[in-house]
Amino acid sequence: MVNTTTEANAPPNADFIRELTAMRPKLLSFARLQLRDSHAAEDAVQEALLAAMEQAHRFEGRSSLRTWVTTILRNRIIDHFRRGRREVQLDDEDGAEDLASFDGLFTEKGRFRERPGDWANDPEATLSERQFFEVLEACVTKLPAQTGRVFLMREWLELSTDEICHELGISSSNCWVILYRARMRLRECLELNWFGARR
Amino acid sequence: MSWLMPDCKESHRLAAEGLDRELTRTERMRLRIHLAMCASCTNFTRQVNLLRAAIRSFPGPDQR
Repeated sequence: MVNTTTEANAPPNADFIRELTAMRPKLLSFARLQLRDSHAAEDAVQEALLAAMEQAHRFEGRSSLRTWVTTILRNRIIDHFRRGRREVQLDDEDGAEDLASFDGLFTEKGRFRERPGDWANDPEATLSERQFFEVLEACVTKLPAQTGRVFLMREWLELSTDEICHELGISSSNCWVILYRARMRLRECLELNWFGARR
Repeated sequence: MSWLMPDCKESHRLAAEGLDRELTRTERMRLRIHLAMCASCTNFTRQVNLLRAAIRSFPGPDQR
């Protein structure tokens, strides 16, 4: 683990800065996914990295540096949403619709047409594979813009659906449909590109 | 469906909604009964739970 400085005002050491800098591209790609605005994403990441440097003395090495910086970034992004609430255009395919697609999954007797794959023999093992996260990121990137954004607000920023509706000015039923659809797509994408290939 | 044993479609809806709102006690019980007897819905529920856990632990393990 990186040896950070302990003095509040002392500059962080070179290794610490180097590690932070190395994380920038990854953080940026995630901030872009979330904000869908490269300027805002640059700003948020910049602020997060500066905050991390300023607070280097508070990093205790209990979590990984990446987790710590990610948490700082997440808070910046939440701030960004709170500061400038904007009306958001829904993607065409994000509009509310009846859940007809929902019916397609089931027989008339209400049973699954196709059994969902067995993913979770060992979730811990899956979550310790770096490659899995690359596939996950690629799958999230493929979501339509607004779908991806709402999904990440819910799952990554951990905002409640009420907060998301409020921030984005969408109805709660819309929000629910968007989240549902995002999960179903990601499920399909992960099945195809990760779990299915490993069975 | 029967008052005790919801079908897959209802269980699916409950499992999905349960990610975004707190289910009522009855809903939780119905879902649990169904899951105990249905591998398909158990798999689906595990999938969405894993998805949630994965996003929350993004960006994943350290690259070292």
